[in-house]
Amino acid sequence: MPPRIRVRPRVLCLRIASPNAPVQHAYASLATATTPAPPIDQTIRSVPPVLRYPPTQPPSHKPPQVRKSQLHRQYQSLLKSSPLLLLFQHNNIKAVEWMSIRRELAAALAKVDAEREQAGLEPLAQEIKLQVIQTGIFESALRVVEFFKPEDDLLDSASAANDPKTQASAKIPQTTNNTADERFTHGLSRRAYEAASNRKLKLELQPLLSGPLAVVGLPSVEPQYLKAILSTLAPSKEFPAPKRKANPAYHEPEVQFGLQKLMLLGARVEGKVFDQEGTKWVGGIDGGIDGLRAQLVAMLQGVGGSLTSAMEGASKSLYFTIEGRRMDMEEKEKGDGESEEKD
Amino acid sequence: MITRFFTDVRVRFNPFSPRAKPARLFLSLLPPNARASGMKIDSQMLPRASKEPATLAIKFKDGKEMNLELDKMRITEVMEEVDRHSRQLARKEELTGN
Repeated sequence: MPPRIRVRPRVLCLRIASPNAPVQHAYASLATATTPAPPIDQTIRSVPPVLRYPPTQPPSHKPPQVRKSQLHRQYQSLLKSSPLLLLFQHNNIKAVEWMSIRRELAAALAKVDAEREQAGLEPLAQEIKLQVIQTGIFESALRVVEFFKPEDDLLDSASAANDPKTQASAKIPQTTNNTADERFTHGLSRRAYEAASNRKLKLELQPLLSGPLAVVGLPSVEPQYLKAILSTLAPSKEFPAPKRKANPAYHEPEVQFGLQKLMLLGARVEGKVFDQEGTKWVGGIDGGIDGLRAQLVAMLQGVGGSLTSAMEGASKSLYFTIEGRRMDMEEKEKGDGESEEKD
Repeated sequence: MITRFFTDVRVRFNPFSPRAKPARLFLSLLPPNARASGMKIDSQMLPRASKEPATLAIKFKDGKEMNLELDKMRITEVMEEVDRHSRQLARKEELTGN
């Protein structure tokens, strides 16, 4: 009977796990391999700067992978890129109703787009969306946008491009991969957080930012689009809803039930806050910024005309008084002469 | 909040006043099918400069009317106040077996 050899499964596993890697043996005396000396260039000049983080992902104060941070970043970009922002409150609107409201909004905007294309203007309907927001995160993002104004650019302190001393031609900011670095200028940086968390600074929009909110952001202040949005989402006397004959889909129960639960609260136009009336006023400007310019020009022309007539009047009256005075004095002189002659 | 005994809800508030929060939250607490099931909801928004307090007027199915000054209350207090009557109505309904 052959002797029994015990199988040790653990050892087998280990061998199988790394079959190709041979066990390395080395003598300690041979381990002190010398590294070659650095090239003479590097010893004379300083090492070119290296960016320590991906250029699109500078270090963030809060963990960047969580949804909160991403929403924060998204809202900041929304706030910075939309000078005209409408705020709505939505009270338990169902998904179907949201869907129909969005469909109607898109249809109304597409109509405006067609008009603008005929006039040779840029269509914007693709960029205008009705978006439900997380109120707290939106408030924080708004604080950053309003109160964090880094005046120095990251690249100002960067090493010059095309400097023969540096290897790359791209400008590289000299920030480190540390969140606490004071030179960061992005909205998620710790510096931005500290600037925005100053509670002494009050937002003008603060009282509106509670409860369930939705926003519509416009990439530029275009009263044409605002008109379409207001007459679709918040119809009123000045902005009547489309008639049943013109747009039967708008009068479907889903859209109407949804719209009853959507309330326009206010608007933020180029950093200023407007209430409902103010929003309607902005929507009522005919022809947008060009219309306003035309109005201003007309007003200034009127002012010019009246100004010239007023000044003319003054000079005329002055002329008349002086002339009158002269005549008067001449008459007196004559009178005096006559009287002298008489004497 | 028990909302099934409301027949008529009227809210007036100025959204730019920090005291209007309970009024807005009250509106957001009404169920999605409230209007379809026969409740009349009328929300009126005041202009920004107005100093008028936020008010809430509710009519119940038994005819009781409730007028609340929302600017001195929190939303939990509003809910308590409204629910106190709604619970009585619910108990009555239960006892009559409808």
